[in-house]
Amino acid sequence: MRLQLGYIPLCDAAPLIAAHELGFARAEGLDLDLTAEPSWATLRDRLALGHLDGAHMLAPLALASRLGLSGPPSDLIVPMQLSVNGNAITLSRSLWDAMAPESGAPIAVARAFARIAEERRATGRPLTLGTVHPFSCHSYQVRLFAEAGDLDPAAFRTVVVPPQYCVETLARGLVDGFCAGAPWNDVAAAAGHGRIAVLGSALTPDAPEKVLAVSERLDGAILPLIRAVARAGRWCADPENRSELIQRLARRTYLDLDAEIVGRALPGGLGEQPIAGAALDFGGAIQEPRPVDARWLLAQMRAACQIPDRSTFDDAIPTIYRADLYGAAGVGS
Amino acid sequence: MTETSLTVAVIDPSRARAAILEEGLRASGVGRVVVIPDTADLMERVTALKPDVVVIHLESPSRDILEQMSGVSRQVERPVAMFVDRSDTTMMQAAVDAGISAYVVDGLRAERIKSILDIAILRFNAFARLQRELSEARGELADRKLIERAKGILMSMKGLSEDEAYKQLRRKAMNEKRKIADIARAIVTTADLLG
Repeated sequence: MRLQLGYIPLCDAAPLIAAHELGFARAEGLDLDLTAEPSWATLRDRLALGHLDGAHMLAPLALASRLGLSGPPSDLIVPMQLSVNGNAITLSRSLWDAMAPESGAPIAVARAFARIAEERRATGRPLTLGTVHPFSCHSYQVRLFAEAGDLDPAAFRTVVVPPQYCVETLARGLVDGFCAGAPWNDVAAAAGHGRIAVLGSALTPDAPEKVLAVSERLDGAILPLIRAVARAGRWCADPENRSELIQRLARRTYLDLDAEIVGRALPGGLGEQPIAGAALDFGGAIQEPRPVDARWLLAQMRAACQIPDRSTFDDAIPTIYRADLYGAAGVGS
Repeated sequence: MTETSLTVAVIDPSRARAAILEEGLRASGVGRVVVIPDTADLMERVTALKPDVVVIHLESPSRDILEQMSGVSRQVERPVAMFVDRSDTTMMQAAVDAGISAYVVDGLRAERIKSILDIAILRFNAFARLQRELSEARGELADRKLIERAKGILMSMKGLSEDEAYKQLRRKAMNEKRKIADIARAIVTTADLLG
């Protein structure tokens, strides 16, 4: 059976790419057509309208799509999680120098950021941080970063910056920093424009990052797809396969980046301190879609005023986060 | 129909396609049409323009920037929302098939945006058709050049007239149920290798 799957070229699309490249899909009788999508919005719409059968998706966006909060009506479900962690906040060199935090500890960095952000607000030129989509853990991590430094998140501007513009917007001073996934923090750091300031995993340890979202229509193909991607995820998590994974991800078809940069952005890499992708994790126990994670995401949406305080969205979780399907696929934890 | 009071922004990685849509919207009477380049400072430009409708191609990486200008963010003055007509999925499909998404300022009535979307769908489909025809025409031209070269090779190697050389190519293609251009390519490749 042939399936159309969408992804955004990021390190955490690795389980889908490996499922295709290393034959895990074929072993389940599946032929995967992977397409790199130009934006999260377009990926969401193509999945909702049936152009895609499934996708690598921001966990909050998958929920928002199915709950009717973002884009066209969708029948997507989440039968497995693809990754946790891997995001980081990168700040411009000049901002980092002005902050001069006492140490690299997240709390010290957050306080130093808060001090400059307040100063800049007082002068009427507030700081601007980039994120990837309103419905993303990146947005929630930016807010939690502010709160860690006792800063009102309204003290600075938050804008969306597509990953391919991260480095340019930072270099041109259009943003003072951004929260993005691997490998973009390392790309900006390697270009000399930014300093990786705080890891997402320090703000929200093991927060749900990307999920596999599929259309309910897939039906019989869902279990084989879970098995293929789960085995691929386990393959990606094995340090033995690290260099092969880097080579494959770096290719023009996928991330189209220097293998050295991709390597820095994956666990076990050596590079700027801290290493942005140090906590990025695939495979094994993290793959089960847990309702507790979905409830946490809805709580973040409430805190960001994306949904009302009193809402019944929590009741829909069992029909979206399908731990039952993951269990039925029999890949264990 | 005229929408003289509306400002429409057009964002498209293809400048040619953006120009075609711009012209179409102007011709239909939309008051102000502005093409915004798909660059890193897009957000600033959109904010300064204050458009009522933004028509953006699905292939633009900047779509997520517009999502940020939606009502879920409290920092924007004039929140926009992606135009989704839940009562008309055919329209939604046609728009996505043509490569279009639209963001509209909160409160704009669905009927006013529909005529704009209709024009966008027509223009983008016409553009796609033109591109297809252009690439077919390029392909035909390349095929013709290939056949000319293959004929030349047959003429000089076998001492045939041009007409005889072409007939041989055609006969071979018919016997093998392949295109003449494919036979020509095989001859040219072989001649290149052996020559």
